[in-house]
Amino acid sequence: MGRIYAFLDDRLNLEPLVRAIADHPVPDHANPLKTPKALMYCFGGIAFMLILLQIVTGMFLMLYYVPSPDHAYASVTYIQDEVMFGSLVRAVHRVGASAAIVMVFLHMMRVYFTGAYKKPRELNWIAGIFLLVIVIGFGFSGYLLPWDQKAYWATTVGINLVATVPLVGDFLANVLRGGSEVGALTLVRFFVIHVMFLPALLLVFLAAHFFMIRRQGISQPL
Amino acid sequence: MTTADKTSGNGHSGHPFYPDHLLVEGIVAVIVLLAILLVSQVWQVPLEEMASPSDTSYVPRPEWYFLFYFQLLKYFHGPLIVVGTFVLPLLLFAALVLLPFLDRKPARGVLQRPRSLTAGVLAIAAMILLTVVAYQEDDSMKLPPVTDQQVAAGKDIFYRFCILCHKMDGQGGFMAPDLTHIGSRSGRTYMERVIINPKIVSPSSIMSIVPLSDAERHEVSAYLSRKK
Repeated sequence: MGRIYAFLDDRLNLEPLVRAIADHPVPDHANPLKTPKALMYCFGGIAFMLILLQIVTGMFLMLYYVPSPDHAYASVTYIQDEVMFGSLVRAVHRVGASAAIVMVFLHMMRVYFTGAYKKPRELNWIAGIFLLVIVIGFGFSGYLLPWDQKAYWATTVGINLVATVPLVGDFLANVLRGGSEVGALTLVRFFVIHVMFLPALLLVFLAAHFFMIRRQGISQPL
Repeated sequence: MTTADKTSGNGHSGHPFYPDHLLVEGIVAVIVLLAILLVSQVWQVPLEEMASPSDTSYVPRPEWYFLFYFQLLKYFHGPLIVVGTFVLPLLLFAALVLLPFLDRKPARGVLQRPRSLTAGVLAIAAMILLTVVAYQEDDSMKLPPVTDQQVAAGKDIFYRFCILCHKMDGQGGFMAPDLTHIGSRSGRTYMERVIINPKIVSPSSIMSIVPLSDAERHEVSAYLSRKK
């Protein structure tokens, strides 16, 4: 391990990079070994870990999933019944999604109730709000993909709600549907939003979120 | 590297991020992962019948974390729905984004910030309350209240048909899950939907459809809901 690192460091000058990422003290009030209350400082990190879990399980589900009305449902039952560990991976993706929502919310509550959003961390709070919206978007877009009755009708209701927004509602609803009814184009759109658009946005805002926490440090104890 | 300012804990006494803190985070992460694996093993992920765009009678329910919002929407009728779908979400989003600029006093402890504390607690309480009401309304949907008479009749039906495959209080078949404590796990609406169409549990479910009248089905679900 040390020799591999030395080899790479020799050629790529990793030292400053590693220092920037990993070489900083974590204050005692955020250390669960010192005080159990510090566990609430773990929520954000766990949310990130769950996002990674969603990315990995999602990649494996994509190996079999087909985003077309004729095949989507059959591909999900195939994952469920035939693919080795398929039902487990699907279950983890589904449970992990709920857990991620819970952790993002707990993380937000921690920041809110400890007043950690205050100067100088205003921008990081706003990045966090956008991350919350993105995570909710993942939940909404993923719900349609199994193409079962619940998926179809819940999405129909959801898009009808979007259509009630003044002025732009109808336009937005049509863009989401790709027509006047939930159908083949809707499924492709929701799939691509779920696996391309939202992940791209997520990575941008996560990078900003981490850059800012690293620059500003963890907020001081109360 | 850090622009450690007076509000930052960095630079004071602490422990190194690597390897100390990363190890602690790793342990917490493993515990959470194991919990997720456990739930994933035990819980049957729902997959209903394939979507049928012509079946407009289907009443969909959103994922649990959207339930409070859909419950809230129920209180805005007709043209007022815009308040629920547009005005309130926009206000909430704006309030959250502007929060650090509206609340500029340096005091950070919740107890020194009574207004923020009240707003936060009220918001969480409202979300929990709306979620609970949503579940209750789902569960009592079109179902007559449980009477002892119903329970007795339901038990009768259960011991004639269901017991052939399901276990109850130590006796019965072994083909299907033990229903001894089903009342503490599932709501009545869900039980009824399974009885009507067993495949909502899993498309590969082998449970047969027992032809029961609506009244008989209510009796069976009444009986099962008492089995806690």
